[in-house]
Amino acid sequence: MERQFSFRLNGRQVSVSAPPAYTLLEVLRERLDVTGPKEDCKKGECGACTLLMNGKPVLSCLVLISQAEGAEIVTSEGFMRDGSPDHVQKAFIENGAVQCGHCIPGFIVSTEALLSRNPNPSVEEIKRALAGNLCRCTGYASIIRAVQQAAQKD
Amino acid sequence: MTLGEIEVVSAKNLKDALSVLHDRSGNIKPIAGGTDAIIQVREASLQTKRLLDISSLPELRYIRREGSVIRIGALSTYSEIIESPMLNSSCRMLVEASRMIGSLQIQNRATIGGNLANASPAGDTIPPLFALGADVKVQNHEHSRIVPVEKFFLGYRKIDLMPDELITEISFEAVEDPHDGTFVKLGLREGHFISLVSLAIRVKWAPDGDRFSDVRIALGAVAPVALRARKCEEYLKNRTLAEEMIWSAGKVASDESSPISDLRASANYRRAVIPSLLYQAAQLLITDRQRRQKP
Repeated sequence: MERQFSFRLNGRQVSVSAPPAYTLLEVLRERLDVTGPKEDCKKGECGACTLLMNGKPVLSCLVLISQAEGAEIVTSEGFMRDGSPDHVQKAFIENGAVQCGHCIPGFIVSTEALLSRNPNPSVEEIKRALAGNLCRCTGYASIIRAVQQAAQKD
Repeated sequence: MTLGEIEVVSAKNLKDALSVLHDRSGNIKPIAGGTDAIIQVREASLQTKRLLDISSLPELRYIRREGSVIRIGALSTYSEIIESPMLNSSCRMLVEASRMIGSLQIQNRATIGGNLANASPAGDTIPPLFALGADVKVQNHEHSRIVPVEKFFLGYRKIDLMPDELITEISFEAVEDPHDGTFVKLGLREGHFISLVSLAIRVKWAPDGDRFSDVRIALGAVAPVALRARKCEEYLKNRTLAEEMIWSAGKVASDESSPISDLRASANYRRAVIPSLLYQAAQLLITDRQRRQKP
Protein backbone atom coordinates (compact mmCIF):
# COMPACT_ATOMS: atom_id res chain seq x y z
CA MET A 1 0.00 0.00 0.00
CA GLU A 2 2.88 2.34 -0.68
CA ARG A 3 2.52 5.59 -2.57
CA GLN A 4 4.94 7.93 -4.22
CA PHE A 5 5.61 11.27 -2.51
CA SER A 6 7.71 14.17 -3.65
CA PHE A 7 8.91 17.21 -1.79
CA ARG A 8 11.98 19.40 -1.51
CA LEU A 9 14.56 18.19 0.99
CA ASN A 10 17.50 20.40 1.91
CA GLY A 11 17.25 22.19 -1.39
CA ARG A 12 16.87 19.11 -3.61
CA GLN A 13 13.72 17.67 -5.11
CA VAL A 14 13.19 14.11 -3.81
CA SER A 15 10.69 11.42 -4.65
CA VAL A 16 10.15 8.46 -2.33
CA SER A 17 7.83 5.53 -2.00
CA ALA A 18 6.26 5.00 1.45
CA PRO A 19 3.09 3.95 3.24
CA PRO A 20 0.93 7.11 3.30
CA ALA A 21 0.56 7.22 7.09
CA TYR A 22 4.26 6.83 7.80
CA THR A 23 5.56 9.86 9.58
CA LEU A 24 7.87 12.25 7.82
CA LEU A 25 10.46 11.27 10.43
CA GLU A 26 10.24 7.58 9.54
CA VAL A 27 10.52 8.29 5.84
CA LEU A 28 13.54 10.55 6.26
CA ARG A 29 15.41 8.13 8.50
CA GLU A 30 14.40 4.78 7.03
CA ARG A 31 13.88 5.53 3.34
CA LEU A 32 16.14 8.51 2.67
CA ASP A 33 18.97 7.95 5.18
CA VAL A 34 18.60 11.46 6.53
CA THR A 35 19.36 10.82 10.19
CA GLY A 36 19.68 14.34 11.60
CA PRO A 37 16.12 14.28 12.96
CA LYS A 38 16.06 11.79 15.84
CA GLU A 39 13.25 9.60 17.10
CA ASP A 40 12.83 9.75 20.87
CA CYS A 41 9.49 10.36 22.51
CA LYS A 42 7.27 10.00 19.43
CA LYS A 43 4.65 12.15 21.14
CA GLY A 44 5.68 15.72 20.48
CA GLU A 45 7.42 16.45 23.74
CA CYS A 46 11.18 16.17 23.20
CA GLY A 47 11.85 18.12 20.00
CA ALA A 48 14.61 15.77 18.79
CA CYS A 49 12.85 15.33 15.43
CA THR A 50 12.46 19.09 14.78
CA LEU A 51 12.87 20.22 11.18
CA LEU A 52 11.66 23.13 9.09
CA MET A 53 8.54 22.56 7.06
CA ASN A 54 7.81 25.49 4.74
CA GLY A 55 10.11 27.61 6.86
CA LYS A 56 8.63 26.79 10.25
CA PRO A 57 9.94 24.43 12.93
CA VAL A 58 7.66 21.41 13.32
CA LEU A 59 7.97 17.93 14.80
CA SER A 60 8.50 15.34 12.08
CA CYS A 61 7.17 12.57 14.35
CA LEU A 62 3.81 14.36 14.17
CA VAL A 63 3.62 14.99 10.43
CA LEU A 64 2.43 12.28 8.07
CA ILE A 65 4.40 11.86 4.87
CA SER A 66 1.08 12.49 3.08
CA GLN A 67 0.98 15.91 4.73
CA ALA A 68 4.50 16.72 3.52
CA GLU A 69 3.69 16.23 -0.16
CA GLY A 70 5.00 19.25 -2.06
CA ALA A 71 6.50 20.83 1.07
CA GLU A 72 9.90 22.44 1.53
CA ILE A 73 11.74 20.45 4.21
CA VAL A 74 15.03 21.46 5.83
CA THR A 75 16.78 19.29 8.42
CA SER A 76 19.93 20.09 10.41
CA GLU A 77 21.96 18.69 7.51
CA GLY A 78 20.51 21.38 5.26
CA PHE A 79 22.31 24.15 7.13
CA MET A 80 25.80 22.79 6.39
CA ARG A 81 27.90 25.02 4.14
CA ASP A 82 29.86 23.03 1.55
CA GLY A 83 30.05 20.04 3.87
CA SER A 84 31.18 22.08 6.89
CA PRO A 85 29.24 23.23 9.94
CA ASP A 86 27.67 26.68 9.60
CA HIS A 87 28.08 29.41 12.24
CA VAL A 88 25.24 28.07 14.40
CA GLN A 89 26.60 24.52 14.37
CA LYS A 90 30.12 25.82 15.09
CA ALA A 91 28.84 27.90 18.01
CA PHE A 92 27.31 24.77 19.58
CA ILE A 93 30.66 22.96 19.25
CA GLU A 94 32.74 25.88 20.52
CA ASN A 95 30.54 26.40 23.56
CA GLY A 96 30.50 22.76 24.60
CA ALA A 97 26.75 22.79 24.05
CA VAL A 98 26.95 19.21 22.80
CA GLN A 99 27.37 16.25 25.10
CA CYS A 100 25.76 13.05 23.88
CA GLY A 101 24.61 15.02 20.84
CA HIS A 102 21.28 13.31 20.38
CA CYS A 103 19.10 16.39 20.87
CA ILE A 104 21.41 18.78 19.04
CA PRO A 105 20.07 18.51 15.46
CA GLY A 106 16.68 19.59 16.82
CA PHE A 107 18.26 22.46 18.73
CA ILE A 108 20.15 23.54 15.62
CA VAL A 109 16.95 23.71 13.58
CA SER A 110 15.07 25.64 16.28
CA THR A 111 18.03 28.03 16.64
CA GLU A 112 18.29 28.62 12.88
CA ALA A 113 14.53 29.35 12.76
CA LEU A 114 14.82 31.76 15.68
CA LEU A 115 17.79 33.66 14.27
CA SER A 116 16.23 33.95 10.83
CA ARG A 117 13.26 35.86 12.24
CA ASN A 118 15.03 37.51 15.18
CA PRO A 119 18.77 38.07 14.67
CA ASN A 120 19.28 39.52 18.16
CA PRO A 121 17.18 37.49 20.58
CA SER A 122 17.15 38.17 24.32
CA VAL A 123 17.82 35.26 26.71
CA GLU A 124 14.09 35.14 27.36
CA GLU A 125 13.35 34.91 23.62
CA ILE A 126 15.98 32.18 23.22
CA LYS A 127 14.42 30.19 26.04
CA ARG A 128 10.98 30.54 24.53
CA ALA A 129 12.15 29.51 21.05
CA LEU A 130 13.95 26.45 22.42
CA ALA A 131 11.30 25.45 24.98
CA GLY A 132 10.18 22.61 22.72
CA ASN A 133 13.64 21.02 22.63
CA LEU A 134 14.78 18.95 25.60
CA CYS A 135 18.40 18.19 26.50
CA ARG A 136 19.13 15.77 29.32
CA CYS A 137 22.95 16.05 29.33
CA THR A 138 24.42 19.52 29.34
CA GLY A 139 21.73 21.60 30.88
CA TYR A 140 20.78 24.66 28.93
CA ALA A 141 23.32 27.30 29.95
CA SER A 142 25.89 26.31 27.33
CA ILE A 143 23.18 25.98 24.69
CA ILE A 144 21.96 29.52 25.38
CA ARG A 145 25.58 30.78 25.20
CA ALA A 146 25.95 29.03 21.85
CA VAL A 147 22.83 30.72 20.48
CA GLN A 148 24.05 34.10 21.69
CA GLN A 149 27.41 33.57 20.01
CA ALA A 150 25.74 32.46 16.78
CA ALA A 151 23.55 35.57 16.89
CA GLN A 152 26.62 37.82 17.05
CA LYS A 153 28.04 36.21 13.94
CA ASP A 154 24.76 36.22 12.08
CA MET B 1 -3.40 -0.75 13.29
CA THR B 2 0.09 0.62 12.88
CA LEU B 3 0.67 3.79 10.93
CA GLY B 4 2.07 1.70 8.08
CA GLU B 5 -1.26 -0.04 7.52
CA ILE B 6 -3.46 3.03 7.44
CA GLU B 7 -4.78 4.52 4.25
CA VAL B 8 -4.67 8.29 3.88
CA VAL B 9 -7.00 10.26 1.66
CA SER B 10 -5.74 13.79 1.01
CA ALA B 11 -8.50 16.31 0.50
CA LYS B 12 -7.76 19.16 -1.87
CA ASN B 13 -10.61 21.42 -0.93
CA LEU B 14 -13.53 21.56 1.46
CA LYS B 15 -16.09 20.20 -1.01
CA ASP B 16 -13.85 17.25 -1.74
CA ALA B 17 -13.32 16.59 2.00
CA LEU B 18 -17.05 16.70 2.77
CA SER B 19 -17.95 14.38 -0.07
CA VAL B 20 -15.31 11.85 1.04
CA LEU B 21 -16.72 12.03 4.58
CA HIS B 22 -20.22 11.51 3.20
CA ASP B 23 -19.25 8.56 0.96
CA ARG B 24 -17.26 6.78 3.64
CA SER B 25 -19.25 7.95 6.59
CA GLY B 26 -18.02 6.43 9.82
CA ASN B 27 -15.11 4.72 8.10
CA ILE B 28 -12.67 7.58 7.94
CA LYS B 29 -11.35 10.01 10.53
CA PRO B 30 -10.27 13.55 9.73
CA ILE B 31 -6.77 14.61 10.68
CA ALA B 32 -5.71 18.26 10.73
CA GLY B 33 -2.46 19.33 12.42
CA GLY B 34 -2.12 15.79 13.75
CA THR B 35 -0.41 16.78 17.00
CA ASP B 36 -2.94 14.77 19.00
CA ALA B 37 -4.36 12.46 16.33
CA ILE B 38 -1.06 10.86 15.28
CA ILE B 39 -0.21 10.01 18.88
CA GLN B 40 -3.70 8.61 19.43
CA VAL B 41 -3.45 6.40 16.34
CA ARG B 42 -0.04 5.18 17.45
CA GLU B 43 -1.29 4.43 20.95
CA ALA B 44 -4.49 2.87 19.56
CA SER B 45 -6.82 5.18 21.47
CA LEU B 46 -8.00 6.29 18.01
CA GLN B 47 -8.82 3.23 15.93
CA THR B 48 -9.30 3.72 12.24
CA LYS B 49 -8.20 2.19 8.97
CA ARG B 50 -8.41 5.47 7.09
CA LEU B 51 -7.47 9.05 7.72
CA LEU B 52 -8.77 12.03 5.79
CA ASP B 53 -6.02 14.62 5.70
CA ILE B 54 -7.66 18.05 5.80
CA SER B 55 -4.52 19.91 6.88
CA SER B 56 -4.15 21.82 3.66
CA LEU B 57 -7.71 22.84 2.84
CA PRO B 58 -7.27 26.44 1.74
CA GLU B 59 -10.81 27.54 2.65
CA LEU B 60 -10.54 26.94 6.37
CA ARG B 61 -7.46 28.99 7.07
CA TYR B 62 -8.44 32.57 7.82
CA ILE B 63 -8.84 35.01 10.66
CA ARG B 64 -11.07 37.93 9.76
CA ARG B 65 -13.45 40.45 11.16
CA GLU B 66 -16.91 41.32 9.88
CA GLY B 67 -18.38 44.25 11.80
CA SER B 68 -18.09 43.32 15.45
CA VAL B 69 -17.80 39.57 14.73
CA ILE B 70 -14.47 37.75 14.54
CA ARG B 71 -14.39 34.63 12.37
CA ILE B 72 -11.63 32.04 12.59
CA GLY B 73 -11.34 29.22 10.06
CA ALA B 74 -11.06 25.89 11.85
CA LEU B 75 -7.66 25.08 10.34
CA SER B 76 -6.01 28.24 11.65
CA THR B 77 -2.96 27.24 13.66
CA TYR B 78 -2.06 28.56 17.09
CA SER B 79 0.89 30.38 15.51
CA GLU B 80 -1.50 32.16 13.14
CA ILE B 81 -3.71 33.12 16.09
CA ILE B 82 -0.70 34.33 18.11
CA GLU B 83 0.59 36.39 15.19
CA SER B 84 -2.76 37.97 14.29
CA PRO B 85 -2.65 41.72 15.07
CA MET B 86 -6.45 41.78 15.00
CA LEU B 87 -6.78 39.05 17.64
CA ASN B 88 -4.04 40.64 19.75
CA SER B 89 -6.08 43.83 19.92
CA SER B 90 -9.61 42.41 19.91
CA CYS B 91 -9.41 39.06 21.68
CA ARG B 92 -6.22 38.74 23.63
CA MET B 93 -7.46 35.84 25.76
CA LEU B 94 -7.41 33.52 22.78
CA VAL B 95 -3.90 34.69 21.92
CA GLU B 96 -2.78 34.16 25.53
CA ALA B 97 -4.27 30.66 25.57
CA SER B 98 -2.67 29.74 22.22
CA ARG B 99 0.71 30.98 23.36
CA MET B 100 0.56 28.61 26.34
CA ILE B 101 -0.23 25.52 24.29
CA GLY B 102 2.69 23.17 23.69
CA SER B 103 5.90 24.37 22.10
CA LEU B 104 6.49 26.52 19.04
CA GLN B 105 6.73 23.31 16.98
CA ILE B 106 3.26 22.28 18.18
CA GLN B 107 1.83 25.79 17.69
CA ASN B 108 3.01 25.73 14.08
CA ARG B 109 0.90 22.65 13.29
CA ALA B 110 -1.95 22.37 15.78
CA THR B 111 -5.27 23.97 14.83
CA ILE B 112 -8.08 25.55 16.80
CA GLY B 113 -10.62 23.23 15.16
CA GLY B 114 -8.48 20.29 16.19
CA ASN B 115 -8.48 21.47 19.77
CA LEU B 116 -12.30 21.44 19.74
CA ALA B 117 -12.52 18.08 17.96
CA ASN B 118 -10.04 16.46 20.33
CA ALA B 119 -12.24 17.69 23.20
CA SER B 120 -9.70 17.17 25.96
CA PRO B 121 -10.95 18.45 29.33
CA ALA B 122 -7.64 20.34 29.44
CA GLY B 123 -7.96 21.81 25.92
CA ASP B 124 -6.79 25.37 26.38
CA THR B 125 -8.79 27.18 23.70
CA ILE B 126 -12.05 25.81 25.07
CA PRO B 127 -12.44 27.96 28.23
CA PRO B 128 -11.78 31.17 26.26
CA LEU B 129 -14.39 30.14 23.67
CA PHE B 130 -16.89 29.45 26.49
CA ALA B 131 -16.15 32.85 28.04
CA LEU B 132 -16.50 34.49 24.62
CA GLY B 133 -19.83 32.77 24.01
CA ALA B 134 -18.44 31.53 20.69
CA ASP B 135 -20.42 29.77 17.97
CA VAL B 136 -19.08 26.66 16.27
CA LYS B 137 -20.00 26.15 12.63
CA VAL B 138 -20.10 22.57 11.38
CA GLN B 139 -20.77 21.43 7.84
CA ASN B 140 -21.56 18.27 5.96
CA HIS B 141 -21.79 17.86 2.19
CA GLU B 142 -25.28 19.35 2.10
CA HIS B 143 -25.67 21.94 4.81
CA SER B 144 -24.12 23.74 7.71
CA ARG B 145 -25.32 24.45 11.21
CA ILE B 146 -24.23 26.70 14.04
CA VAL B 147 -23.86 25.33 17.57
CA PRO B 148 -23.15 27.51 20.61
CA VAL B 149 -19.83 26.23 21.97
CA GLU B 150 -21.30 25.27 25.34
CA LYS B 151 -23.78 22.98 23.58
CA PHE B 152 -21.08 21.58 21.30
CA PHE B 153 -19.49 19.69 24.21
CA LEU B 154 -21.77 16.88 25.30
CA GLY B 155 -19.61 15.05 27.84
CA TYR B 156 -16.17 13.64 28.38
CA ARG B 157 -14.55 13.78 24.92
CA LYS B 158 -18.02 13.81 23.34
CA ILE B 159 -18.93 16.54 20.89
CA ASP B 160 -21.95 17.37 18.77
CA LEU B 161 -20.39 16.36 15.46
CA MET B 162 -21.65 13.65 13.12
CA PRO B 163 -19.18 11.37 11.31
CA ASP B 164 -19.88 13.17 8.00
CA GLU B 165 -19.36 16.66 9.44
CA LEU B 166 -16.35 18.92 9.83
CA ILE B 167 -15.86 21.86 12.16
CA THR B 168 -15.38 24.75 9.74
CA GLU B 169 -15.48 28.01 11.69
CA ILE B 170 -15.42 29.56 15.14
CA SER B 171 -16.97 33.00 15.58
CA PHE B 172 -17.55 35.41 18.45
CA GLU B 173 -17.98 39.09 19.27
CA ALA B 174 -14.75 41.12 19.41
CA VAL B 175 -13.69 42.00 22.94
CA GLU B 176 -13.30 45.77 23.02
CA ASP B 177 -13.65 48.59 25.49
CA PRO B 178 -15.61 48.55 27.80
CA HIS B 179 -15.11 44.79 27.48
CA ASP B 180 -11.91 42.99 28.31
CA GLY B 181 -10.79 39.45 29.02
CA THR B 182 -7.85 37.26 29.85
CA PHE B 183 -6.76 33.65 30.22
CA VAL B 184 -4.63 32.17 32.99
CA LYS B 185 -3.54 28.63 33.61
CA LEU B 186 -1.60 26.68 36.16
CA GLY B 187 0.73 23.80 35.38
CA LEU B 188 3.64 22.00 36.96
CA ARG B 189 6.31 24.16 35.36
CA GLU B 190 6.59 27.41 33.48
CA GLY B 191 6.81 26.34 29.86
CA HIS B 192 5.10 23.81 27.68
CA PHE B 193 2.69 22.13 30.04
CA ILE B 194 -0.77 20.63 30.23
CA SER B 195 -3.21 22.65 32.31
CA LEU B 196 -3.96 21.51 35.84
CA VAL B 197 -6.55 24.24 35.97
CA SER B 198 -7.26 27.05 33.55
CA LEU B 199 -9.55 30.03 33.68
CA ALA B 200 -10.87 32.40 31.05
CA ILE B 201 -12.75 35.55 31.96
CA ARG B 202 -14.59 38.09 29.82
CA VAL B 203 -15.89 41.18 31.54
CA LYS B 204 -17.73 44.38 30.81
CA TRP B 205 -16.46 47.25 32.91
CA ALA B 206 -19.08 49.47 34.58
CA PRO B 207 -18.53 53.14 33.63
CA ASP B 208 -17.18 53.99 37.11
CA GLY B 209 -14.43 51.37 36.61
CA ASP B 210 -14.60 49.76 40.04
CA ARG B 211 -16.78 46.80 39.14
CA PHE B 212 -17.80 44.50 36.31
CA SER B 213 -21.32 45.05 35.04
CA ASP B 214 -21.13 41.73 33.20
CA VAL B 215 -18.86 38.72 33.69
CA ARG B 216 -18.39 35.37 32.00
CA ILE B 217 -15.99 32.88 33.54
CA ALA B 218 -15.05 29.45 32.23
CA LEU B 219 -12.87 26.89 33.94
CA GLY B 220 -10.82 24.22 32.20
CA ALA B 221 -9.51 20.87 33.43
CA VAL B 222 -11.78 20.77 36.48
CA ALA B 223 -14.69 18.85 34.97
CA PRO B 224 -15.24 16.43 32.05
CA VAL B 225 -15.81 19.46 29.84
CA ALA B 226 -15.04 23.15 30.30
CA LEU B 227 -17.38 24.72 32.80
CA ARG B 228 -19.11 28.10 33.05
CA ALA B 229 -18.81 29.25 36.67
CA ARG B 230 -22.25 30.83 36.64
CA LYS B 231 -22.67 31.28 40.40
CA CYS B 232 -19.30 32.96 40.57
CA GLU B 233 -20.30 35.23 37.67
CA GLU B 234 -23.47 36.26 39.53
CA TYR B 235 -21.46 36.86 42.69
CA LEU B 236 -18.95 39.11 40.94
CA LYS B 237 -21.43 41.09 38.91
CA ASN B 238 -21.74 44.72 40.03
CA ARG B 239 -19.83 44.15 43.25
CA THR B 240 -16.98 46.57 43.97
CA LEU B 241 -13.70 44.87 43.16
CA ALA B 242 -12.25 44.71 46.65
CA GLU B 243 -9.61 42.06 47.40
CA GLU B 244 -11.80 40.10 49.82
CA MET B 245 -14.71 40.10 47.43
CA ILE B 246 -12.55 38.60 44.67
CA TRP B 247 -11.28 35.86 46.99
CA SER B 248 -14.85 35.05 48.05
CA ALA B 249 -15.91 34.91 44.41
CA GLY B 250 -13.05 32.48 43.80
CA LYS B 251 -14.40 30.19 46.50
CA VAL B 252 -17.80 30.24 44.82
CA ALA B 253 -16.14 29.11 41.56
CA SER B 254 -14.24 26.46 43.46
CA ASP B 255 -17.51 25.02 44.82
CA GLU B 256 -18.95 24.88 41.31
CA SER B 257 -16.09 22.80 39.93
CA SER B 258 -15.89 19.01 39.95
CA PRO B 259 -12.25 18.13 39.35
CA ILE B 260 -10.75 14.67 39.44
CA SER B 261 -7.48 13.44 40.90
CA ASP B 262 -4.98 12.23 38.33
CA LEU B 263 -1.24 11.91 37.93
CA ARG B 264 -0.84 15.65 37.60
CA ALA B 265 -2.77 16.88 40.63
CA SER B 266 -5.34 15.92 43.23
CA ALA B 267 -8.92 17.11 43.06
CA ASN B 268 -8.44 19.05 46.30
CA TYR B 269 -5.41 20.84 44.95
CA ARG B 270 -7.23 21.78 41.76
CA ARG B 271 -10.17 23.09 43.76
CA ALA B 272 -7.85 25.01 46.08
CA VAL B 273 -6.05 26.91 43.32
CA ILE B 274 -9.16 28.16 41.50
CA PRO B 275 -9.49 31.25 43.74
CA SER B 276 -5.84 32.09 43.08
CA LEU B 277 -6.38 31.90 39.33
CA LEU B 278 -9.45 34.12 39.53
CA TYR B 279 -7.52 36.58 41.71
CA GLN B 280 -4.63 36.62 39.25
CA ALA B 281 -6.96 37.19 36.29
CA ALA B 282 -8.95 39.93 38.04
CA GLN B 283 -5.78 41.75 39.13
CA LEU B 284 -4.49 41.62 35.58
CA LEU B 285 -7.69 43.19 34.24
CA ILE B 286 -7.67 45.83 36.99
CA THR B 287 -4.05 46.89 36.47
CA ASP B 288 -4.45 46.93 32.70
CA ARG B 289 -7.47 49.19 32.99
CA GLN B 290 -5.62 51.50 35.37
CA ARG B 291 -2.74 51.68 32.89
CA ARG B 292 -5.12 52.53 30.06
CA GLN B 293 -6.83 55.26 32.10
CA LYS B 294 -3.55 57.08 32.79
CA PRO B 295 -2.87 59.93 30.39
